[in-house]
Amino acid sequence: MTHSAPSTDAPKHKHPWITGLVIYILPVILFGLALLLGRYPITPGEVGRSLLSPFFPNLAADIPEVAQQLVLRIRLPRALAALLIGASFGATGTAFQAIFKNPLVDSNILGVTSGAGFGAALALLLFRDAWQVQLFAFAFGLLAVFLAFFGSRLYKSSPLLVLTLMGILIGSLFNSLIALLKYLADPLDTLPAITFWLLGSLTTITWTDIPALAVIIIGGVVFLLLIRWRLNILSLGDAEAKSLGMDPARSKLWVILCATLMTAAAVSVSGVIGWVGLVIPHAGRLLVGPDHKRLLPASIALGAAFMLLMDTVARTVLPGEIPLGVLTGLLGVPILILLLRRNRMGW
Amino acid sequence: MRLQASHLNFSYLPGQTVLHDVSLAVGAGETLYILGRNGSGKTTLLSCLAGLLQPDGGEVLLDDKPIRDFSAAERAREVGLIPQMHTPVFGFTVREMVMMGRAPHLGWLGSPNHEDQAIADEALAQVGLFELRDRPYTEISGGEQQLVLIARGLAQKCRVLLMDEPTAHLDLSNQHRILEIVNQLSDRGLSFIIASHSPNNALSYADRVLLMTGGWVTAYGSPQETLTESLLSAVYGIRTEVITKEIDHVQTPVAVITQRPIALEPESLHEPDSFLSRVFSNGQNDPQLILVTGLSGVGKTTWVTRLIELARNTGLSVSGILSPSTFKDGRKTGIQVVDLATGDRQQLAQLRENDSAAIRTPRWAFDAAAMDWANLRLAAAETSDLLVIDELGPVEFFQGKGLLAGMARLDEGKYRVACVVVRSALLPNALQRWPNAIVVNGGVKG
Repeated sequence: MTHSAPSTDAPKHKHPWITGLVIYILPVILFGLALLLGRYPITPGEVGRSLLSPFFPNLAADIPEVAQQLVLRIRLPRALAALLIGASFGATGTAFQAIFKNPLVDSNILGVTSGAGFGAALALLLFRDAWQVQLFAFAFGLLAVFLAFFGSRLYKSSPLLVLTLMGILIGSLFNSLIALLKYLADPLDTLPAITFWLLGSLTTITWTDIPALAVIIIGGVVFLLLIRWRLNILSLGDAEAKSLGMDPARSKLWVILCATLMTAAAVSVSGVIGWVGLVIPHAGRLLVGPDHKRLLPASIALGAAFMLLMDTVARTVLPGEIPLGVLTGLLGVPILILLLRRNRMGW
Repeated sequence: MRLQASHLNFSYLPGQTVLHDVSLAVGAGETLYILGRNGSGKTTLLSCLAGLLQPDGGEVLLDDKPIRDFSAAERAREVGLIPQMHTPVFGFTVREMVMMGRAPHLGWLGSPNHEDQAIADEALAQVGLFELRDRPYTEISGGEQQLVLIARGLAQKCRVLLMDEPTAHLDLSNQHRILEIVNQLSDRGLSFIIASHSPNNALSYADRVLLMTGGWVTAYGSPQETLTESLLSAVYGIRTEVITKEIDHVQTPVAVITQRPIALEPESLHEPDSFLSRVFSNGQNDPQLILVTGLSGVGKTTWVTRLIELARNTGLSVSGILSPSTFKDGRKTGIQVVDLATGDRQQLAQLRENDSAAIRTPRWAFDAAAMDWANLRLAAAETSDLLVIDELGPVEFFQGKGLLAGMARLDEGKYRVACVVVRSALLPNALQRWPNAIVVNGGVKG
C-alpha cells in the first residue's frame, strides 16, 4: 500500500555534499551582498576594508567616510539582525512542525506574534520610545503563549489539539485587541506608527538591538541543535515517544519555551514577519529530507539566507522600502504552494 | 526475564474503571495473546504493562521489581511498545525509523553514531528489510511498516515487545510473514504480548491467551483452555465453532469459525431426527435455550407462534408469555401481552404520546401494572416442555427493568427448552449472558 504522505525525492541521495555546501554557503554569500548592495554604491573592496577598519584603522584611510559609516553602522547590524531573525524563524518553524506533528504550523501557532503586535501597539500608543516598544512586544508575546499553554491545561483530553486551538483563540483575541488599539489611536500620528510596525521592517535596527537578540537567538539555536535528533521521535506522537523512553510533555515544554523566547525576541525587533517559519522547513525537507539531524541545521541556514535576501530586496528594488512582512507574504505564498506540490503532500 | 502484572485496576476518569483486577505473566521466549472486543481494555492494558500508564491498583513487575521504579529510559531498554499502526507525518527513511529505537540507550542530548547505525542495520537484516533501508517509511507496505517497527524494537534491545493489533489491516500473506518472524524471534528468547482481534492467530501462535470482556479477565490460560466455543461466545457475543484436527492422535483445535444464525423451520419439529426435535429431546436432561433473532419486523413473533402451535399439537406443554403487536390503519400502535398457560391477555405498551410511563423506550410507553402481571405469570409458570419469552429488549438488558422474572429464569436454568425473542442488535449481549444458546434466524418464512 502507498500512503499519501510527504516524502523526499531521490536527489538528496545523489549529491548530498553539493547540496550541503550550497545550503551553508548561501547565507555567507547573501550576507556579503547585503553589505554591498544599497542606494549608496560601495565597492566590494570598500566593504572589506570597512569591515576590517575597527581592527586596522589605516585600511580605511582612502575610502570615503560615509561608505565606512554606512557599512559599519547601518548595513552590518541590519544584515546581522536579518541573519539572526531568519535563522530563528527557520529553527523554530522546523521544531514546531515536529512537535505539533503538523507541517502547516510555525512558531506563531501559539499566538506569540499577535501578542507581540499588541504589546508594540500598546507601547506606541502610550510611550513611543523604541526600547519600550521592544520590551512590550517581547513581554506580550510571551504572555500570549503563556495564556495559550496554561489555557490548554484546563482540558484533559487531546492536549496537542487543545493547545493548537488555544493558540489560535489567543491569537485572534490579541488581533482583536490590536484592532481596538488602532481604532483608538491618533490617525495622523500613532496609527501609521502601529500599522508600519505591524508590517514588519528592519529599518530601525542599530547596534544596540543586536546583543540581546544575539544572546537569545544563538542560545535557542544551540539548544535546538543539541536536541534535534529527539525531534524525530517527538514527531511520531506521545505514545511512541514514551515507549522509546522519552518524556514528551516535558521535552515539548522546553521546545515551546525556547522557540517562544526566540520568536518573541525576533518579532520585537522586526515587527510582524510571517511565512518564513512555515516555508523554510519545507524547502529544507525537499533538499535534505525529513531527518531533523540534517533538517534543522539546513533550515537555520536557509532561514538566514532567505531573510537576508528578503531584506536586501526590500531596501533596494524600490526608491522607498517595501515592508518586509508584505514581501515575505507575497513571496512566501507562491513558494509554499510550489514546495507543497514538489513534496507531494496528499491532503 | 519475567514481566508480571498482579491485580491491575485502572480508570481514566473516576468511576469509569477500564481494567478490573487483571493479572498475567510472561517469561522469556513466551508469546501471550490478549483477545477481546473493541473497547474491552486491551490497549489500556498494554500501556499499563509498558509502564506508560500508572495503574490505580495492583502492580506491574519486571523481574520482581516494580516497573514504576524504573526511569523512562531504563524501562524502554526492557519493554518496547509498538502502538497501533499509524502513518507519521514526515517521511523518515526506514533506517531512520529503526534508529529511533536507540533513543533509550543515548543521553538526552545524544544522537546515534556509527555503532547505533550498525545495530539498526543488523535489526533490519534480522527482519529481512535491509534492502529497504533508504526507502521512506511512509511509502512501504503496511506489512513492511509493521516489520520496521519490530526491527525498531530489536534495535531498542528490549526483552519484551508489546504489540497492539500488529496484523490489523494486513492481508493473509503479510499476517503470516509477520507472525512467523515474531515466532522465530520468540524462539531466540524475545517475549511478546500481542493484542489481537484474531482468535485463529492466537490458536496458531500463542503460548497463552488472555480473554477480556469489559475490562475483566474472562479466561487466562493455554489456547486449548481458553479458545473454546462457549468462552469465545461469551467474549465476542457471537456463536463460534472450533474446528479440531487429529494431530499425533490428539484432537487439536486448529481454527475458529463464526456461525451464522441457523435457518430453521418450526415444522421440522415433526420430523423425528431433525435438529429441532433433538433440541427438545436434549432438553429433558439439559436446559436448551433458543434465541430467535432478526431485524424488527422480520416475523420473529410469527416464528415463535408457529412453534407454539406445533408444540401443542405434538402434546408438549407450553408456558411463558408472547407479545403480539396490535395494528391500527396498517401501523403498529400497541403491544399486548399473552400468558400462554391460561390465554389471558393485557395491553402492555402503546406508542409514546406522553412521558408519564415509568418504563419507556424511545418509541413505547409501558403499562407498569401489565408488566408486573407478566412478571408474576413468568415467575409462577410451571416448568413446561417449552418456555416462551417474547421479547427481551433494551429495557431488560440495559435498564434493569421489564421482564426481569424471565431473565432470572433463564439465568437459573429453570426450563427445559426456552425460546426467547431477541432483536439482532442485542444478540451479542444475550450470547455474552448465555453463551451456549442456539441462535435461530427468525426471518424464515414457512
